Amino acid sequence: MLDPTFTTSLAALLPASSLLTATEDTRPYECDGLTLYRELPAAVVLPETEDQVVRILQLCHAARVPVVARGAGTSLSGGALPVAGGVVLSLAKFRRIVAIDALTRTAVVEPGVRNLAISDAARAYGLFYAPDPSSQIACSIGGNVAENAGGVHCLKYGLTVHNVRKVRAVLVTGEIVEFGADALDAPGYDLLALVTGSEGLLAVITRITVKLLPKPQLAQVALAAFDDVEKAGAAVGAIIGAGITPGGLEMMDQPATRAVEQFVHADYPLDAAAVLLVEADGTPEEVAAEMDEIRAVLTGSGATEIRVSESEDQRLLYWSGRKAAFPAVGRISPDYYCIDGTIPRGALPRVLTQIETWSHEYGLPCANVFHAGDGNLHPLILFDANKPGDKERTIEFGDRILELCIEVGGTVTGEHGVGIEKIRGMCVQFPPAALERFLGIKRAFDERGLLNPGKGVPTLARCAEFGAMHVHAGVLPHPELPRF
Amino acid sequence: MTESADDVRTRPAAGDVAALTARLRADYGERVVTSHAVREQHGHGEGLADAALPDVVVFPHGNEEVAAVVRLCSATRIPVIAFGVGTSLEGHVAALYGGVCLDLSQMNRVLEINAEDLDCRAQAGVTREQLNAELKGTGLFFPIDPGANATLGGMASTRASGTNAVRYGTMRENVLGLTVVTADGRIVRTGSRARKSSAGYDLTRLYVGAEGTLGIITEVQLRLYGIPEAISAAVCQFPDLKSAVDTVIVATQLGIPVARVELLDGVQMDACIRYSRLDGFEARPTLFFEFHGTEAGVREQAQTIQSLAADHGGSAFQWASAAEDRSRLWKARHNAYYAVLALAPGRQAFATDACVPISRLTECVLETQADVATTGLVAPIVGHVGDGNFHLVILFDPGSADERARAEALARRVSLRAIAMGGTCTGEHGIGVHKLDALVAEHGDAVSLMQTIKRALDPHDIMNPGKTVPMPGRG
Repeated sequence: MLDPTFTTSLAALLPASSLLTATEDTRPYECDGLTLYRELPAAVVLPETEDQVVRILQLCHAARVPVVARGAGTSLSGGALPVAGGVVLSLAKFRRIVAIDALTRTAVVEPGVRNLAISDAARAYGLFYAPDPSSQIACSIGGNVAENAGGVHCLKYGLTVHNVRKVRAVLVTGEIVEFGADALDAPGYDLLALVTGSEGLLAVITRITVKLLPKPQLAQVALAAFDDVEKAGAAVGAIIGAGITPGGLEMMDQPATRAVEQFVHADYPLDAAAVLLVEADGTPEEVAAEMDEIRAVLTGSGATEIRVSESEDQRLLYWSGRKAAFPAVGRISPDYYCIDGTIPRGALPRVLTQIETWSHEYGLPCANVFHAGDGNLHPLILFDANKPGDKERTIEFGDRILELCIEVGGTVTGEHGVGIEKIRGMCVQFPPAALERFLGIKRAFDERGLLNPGKGVPTLARCAEFGAMHVHAGVLPHPELPRF
Repeated sequence: MTESADDVRTRPAAGDVAALTARLRADYGERVVTSHAVREQHGHGEGLADAALPDVVVFPHGNEEVAAVVRLCSATRIPVIAFGVGTSLEGHVAALYGGVCLDLSQMNRVLEINAEDLDCRAQAGVTREQLNAELKGTGLFFPIDPGANATLGGMASTRASGTNAVRYGTMRENVLGLTVVTADGRIVRTGSRARKSSAGYDLTRLYVGAEGTLGIITEVQLRLYGIPEAISAAVCQFPDLKSAVDTVIVATQLGIPVARVELLDGVQMDACIRYSRLDGFEARPTLFFEFHGTEAGVREQAQTIQSLAADHGGSAFQWASAAEDRSRLWKARHNAYYAVLALAPGRQAFATDACVPISRLTECVLETQADVATTGLVAPIVGHVGDGNFHLVILFDPGSADERARAEALARRVSLRAIAMGGTCTGEHGIGVHKLDALVAEHGDAVSLMQTIKRALDPHDIMNPGKTVPMPGRG
């Protein structure tokens, strides 16, 4: 419960419609895209101006009330999960596209603008915003920056961090700071990169300058079928190893293609153990030349069938299956759990084979659909939360996949963020010396630890509790901490 | 820059330095050097030659040795300055408060090349030319190319860039991970070999560009690229500077993926013609282009640019398609700084590093050219104009206080002009000691956050003190 004087002060700042405290009003904010975790906030605020954001943060800071910033609530890692007794600060009303500058190829937008709305607005200038998470029709650009979101086209065009020029944000103390610059580089420490992907732990973003890219004249996608998952994984390495950087390079295994076919009828070959989608974009000449090379590598890697889109409609049809994969899997299983581990491409065949073995071992089906070119896996473990033990076994299966990702030199999250979900994995992936740097940075921005507490970066004590402390060379770090 | 009297911080006590040196000698023998000549060589980079000498120079061979030296320094609060090959232009390596210089040039092994994953790992002392030599035969290359043959550690620390940034980005985009020795002497690996990660704060990019003030980079994991199927370079000369810059802006606007585009004004072209014996060119504003891609793609890009250039009064392209012709051309560009020095033996030079949004580039370059004309100084313009970044190489007579003052005033005006146009005073060379004021002018509120981060990661202010971020009450 919030202190009544605090609530009164909040109410004085905001129009009545911008402050929600009744349970029936705050209920929609109890979780984000990761519905495994739920928590009711004490209040939800929906400011309309930056000045209101400043004052809300000043109030929370003075009263030591935790604040969780929220965009469209599509996080898959619990990044927008409320904190008990805390405030959810929704940026849903910050939805203006402030400016598009075709010459510098940038757009200035507010954080609540939807990802796809930026490309829609830029289309008139022949430009687009490259990072395209599958949720792009719904997710907000502020959330994309907070999570350093990726997407299908990030292989060629980079992640959010590569496509953002400048961010304006409010610190927990109410101070307004700008990170980055309108020019190519900003001097001093790269605070823009620090804030990008910081999951709302460092500041609340109020304005973003993104880079726009010229829309390629032509794009074509090749759909290749394989009779073996390992061969498909090896083909991914062969494409990149041949010096080709496709616009997108995605893989789906049979459980995924079957789910998708029933849902969107994307014309995928259902007898294939795996399919790859490989996109070439550029001028017609470049696309033709690149497609020839792609076709040659795919054939050499043992593809049983290769189809190249012959029209824009067909290209979109092939992609529709990939973009709809998560909801399609949602239709065939009561629940699914999406993993986001990312590995060096060379390790793909090994990791995929191991996931398949474990899937049989746990008796839990697993659909694989992912950004193969980046080595970013998204195994979807299918389970039924109402079946006793299913959820626990799912989480154990997921943890094993993530530990394997770390073992082969990868990371527990490629693009979805740590949130509440992968806090444990952080203790395994990072040794105490690195975690201490993280905590030092957090303290530099937010000494009282009020912004999105409990997410993103675990405390050392928490890692010790989990018993998941990174043990390097047999030396147990911080033996003085209690372990339960 | 020399130490000013009101600086609170002083050099470490002589007794502490002597004790440390004795300890280092015991551990590293002849790899610990205190001779004046070697300290003098390590007290400055290129650019302004005001040396500030370290007390002792150590040549470590690995991460553990670097960490051990830093732990010793940390215990007695003695400054530590990392040194690559000393090609910094902003005084990054000057030991303003004495201390230990860690010369990483003997950490010069390429540790792994993962051709299939298009990445490699190298020790910080490997130079960019050495790396590309070792990549020969793999069909891969590392594109970031500051003029000097700098070390990869130095390039990461200054967030270096070069002629390829238009297409391949800067060190910010091309460092996948690092091994860093922290201020308390621990070894931390940042990033991973995975192509992307949203786990934790982006420590990799925090250390990239931190100029050794938060930790010492000892290893770098870098992104590599396939050597394009077709490469061709062309030179185009223009009647005036405006036509050349406008050509670049229109090309950028059209989104033509030129790999490199470099501007040289008439004075710079004259210097390069003499220094690098470029035959068949005139001392006029000139653009160097390079196109990467498939045969068809390269042809198409080049045709489009050629017609754009012709619209702006550009000459017919002079092509350099054979590898040796291209490399001669780019060698001449990379040696631009030395070519300017050769114009006036005995003079010294330093470089400005303005970078503005591309929409303001013409205005900024022309105002700067007019500004140079009023000073009576020789200061040619050379730039990576495709990303809005250009340099003045300002020549001055080290014996003339007046001339030096005029040169510094010109440089300051260039920085402030870029900032006023929404740009930055440093596109790629970094802050070092020379641009601390400009950082404050440009970043305002964010500077205090940088100070807090500095204090959080280097509480005793021993990592390259006096650089990058102005610290109030230093000492």
